[in-house]
Amino acid sequence: MADTMGHSATATRNTRLVVGFCLLAIAPQIFEFIWSIGTIFGWGAGRGPVAVVTSHVTALLAGAPSAIFGSFGGGTKKVSSDVLLALIYSYPLFVVAILTLFMTIRSAQDYVGGVVLMALALFALWAGSDLQGMRGFSFGAGTAPRMFGGLLVALSAGIALTGLLTDGPPMAHYSWRGPLFVVAAILFFALSIRSLGLVVTAYASFMIAAAGSHETRWLEAAIVGACLTLGCAILFPSVLGLPMPMYPRFLIQ
Amino acid sequence: MDIFANLAHGFAVAFSPINLLMCLIGALVGTLVGVLPGIGTIATVAMLLPITFGLPPVGALIMLAGIYYGAQYGGSTTSILVNIPGEATSVVTAIDGHQMAKQGRAGPALAIAAIGSFFAGCVATVLIAILGAPLTKLALAFGPAEYFSLMVLGLIFAVVLAKGSVLKAIAMIVLGLLLSMVGSDIETGASRMAFNIPELADGLGFATVAMGVFGFAEIIRNLDHGAEMNRDLVQQKITGLMPTRKDLVDSTPPILRGTVLGSILGILPGGGAVIASFAAYTLEKKLAKNPSRFGRGAIEGVAGPESANNAAAQTSFIPLLTLGIPPNAVMALMVGAMTIHGIVPGPQVMQKQPDLVWGMIASMWIGNLMLIIINLPLVGIWVRLLRVPYRLMFPSIVIFCAIGIYSVNNAPVDVILAGVFGLVGYWLIKHDFEPAPLLLGMVLGPLMEENLRRALLISRGDWSVFVTRPLSAVLLAVAVSLLVLTVLPALRAKRDEVFTESEN
Repeated sequence: MADTMGHSATATRNTRLVVGFCLLAIAPQIFEFIWSIGTIFGWGAGRGPVAVVTSHVTALLAGAPSAIFGSFGGGTKKVSSDVLLALIYSYPLFVVAILTLFMTIRSAQDYVGGVVLMALALFALWAGSDLQGMRGFSFGAGTAPRMFGGLLVALSAGIALTGLLTDGPPMAHYSWRGPLFVVAAILFFALSIRSLGLVVTAYASFMIAAAGSHETRWLEAAIVGACLTLGCAILFPSVLGLPMPMYPRFLIQ
Repeated sequence: MDIFANLAHGFAVAFSPINLLMCLIGALVGTLVGVLPGIGTIATVAMLLPITFGLPPVGALIMLAGIYYGAQYGGSTTSILVNIPGEATSVVTAIDGHQMAKQGRAGPALAIAAIGSFFAGCVATVLIAILGAPLTKLALAFGPAEYFSLMVLGLIFAVVLAKGSVLKAIAMIVLGLLLSMVGSDIETGASRMAFNIPELADGLGFATVAMGVFGFAEIIRNLDHGAEMNRDLVQQKITGLMPTRKDLVDSTPPILRGTVLGSILGILPGGGAVIASFAAYTLEKKLAKNPSRFGRGAIEGVAGPESANNAAAQTSFIPLLTLGIPPNAVMALMVGAMTIHGIVPGPQVMQKQPDLVWGMIASMWIGNLMLIIINLPLVGIWVRLLRVPYRLMFPSIVIFCAIGIYSVNNAPVDVILAGVFGLVGYWLIKHDFEPAPLLLGMVLGPLMEENLRRALLISRGDWSVFVTRPLSAVLLAVAVSLLVLTVLPALRAKRDEVFTESEN
């Protein structure tokens, strides 16, 4: 009884991992899609969302398979970057995801770590795929990235394998509150330092970051934040002579 | 004597009032930040890097060096008093140091740590002065092939000295090498893996990644168990700072041994200071008549590792100043600081900028002296600082880091990148990947690639150049044998033992 229960537990775990890996496999595509939504409102440059979706879907479903078979036929047609992304990045990860279905994972920490690292390496290989390779005996711009990218794929595969072959710790527990608010504070700081100036930005970011811990006492944080902001406002621009805007732009003008 | 003329010149530079002040500020600020738990040496130096931008190069580097050993000293203070090692090098100090503090002997423990560090610092300073010139000459015999092999050796050292899986450590180094390739190619100028983002065209800033992976990631990680972070602070007042005569007698041999061990290990590239303290602790335990005292407040367990890590911290300047190769992540930050001031570290610096090199070397000695004079009376203040609750400290650190990164290039994108690397670092910690080798790989990446390309260009594409040139062959052979030794089961068990011992 216990045995079957244990078995079903790993099975659900595995399917969750498989879904996760599949999402990871199309993460760059999803990211570009989200990014492209901005172009509707005129932010940023790039392709519109519709173009992104159609291009990636055709690349994933049609372009890449035909490129694979085309290569058997000796075709040297130039493939588009979307097709390359599907070929270099997405397909290998889909393969890993499918393989995961049939594996017993003995150390999820290592296995997942290895696979995600492999995804990073594959992504780097794709990102460097447009660079020039060896020219005679001299290195091109793309030689070293490809060398190290390939090495990292091999190493991460090794790490994933150790996760299958040896017992080790399961996935660590992630908390969401700390990372969320700390990153939110950093983002807020980055996005508003230019327009709102140091004083407002530093204080607001302090309060956002303070929300990351459940032990925060708000009155105390408000006072300390004010003191810290004052200190920074004196220290950085005046004492250390680092140029940065102090007050919101709209107040000065 | 050339050496002493050089040293005298250095002292003349370092004793100028402005440089003395820089040294003092550096040591004080370094200790201050180093004492705060949850910020290691690397994060401290990365965080305080921007405050040196406005200074002249000599003053800036003197201050940074001061920050560096101030942070180290602060780290040992926290490990003795609260059992939270501020950084990896003082992990072993915590074992016996904190036990001593619990027995009410925090004063002698701190004093011995300071005295040991000072003595080691003195020896290391002389060593740098003696070895500097000949090693610079050796560096001139280095061609690209030798440089490449030396860096491979350094990276392998980093792997051997990293905790946990060898495979993971190598993977981290390679990831660091890959990250270092983002941006413009040195030779062709082609934009690599930059996705047309203008801010990435110059590559990922080293300080940005360091701050993300070490600063932000640590904060996020600490918040995970923020409430449970049990700081069993030594509450009783620290009395009797001075060690007894018996303490001094007991700790003299360990200090001497630690200094020698640390000096040797520090010169080797690849994070010498950490392993130096581990090695010194193991050595003392092996040599002791009664090893069971270790872990229960043996003063030798404080004296040995503390002198070793300080000696190593200082001798690790040798490869940086003579060969231009940073042996560890902090030195890599130093390279960053030097480049910002327009100085390219390497054999030329010694000849072209004697003020800088010898001034810095002399200031190390002065800095160590300052630490011992200033910090022992200030211990009480440092202890009070430890009572600042983390809930107030972490938002402050976040803001400080953010301002620091922003001020490097006045680029908001850098701050976002650091945030991203904070998440990456958090993920790495969760999956038991060590971030230090990543950083080292990232720093050595451009140097390695450049030398590899140059070596192959000179040899007309012949890879055997790395084994046919004798110096390079020796270096590579050492690297390979080290790697093999590490993977061998017997030694591996030994290595794991050293690391687990330090955790308990």
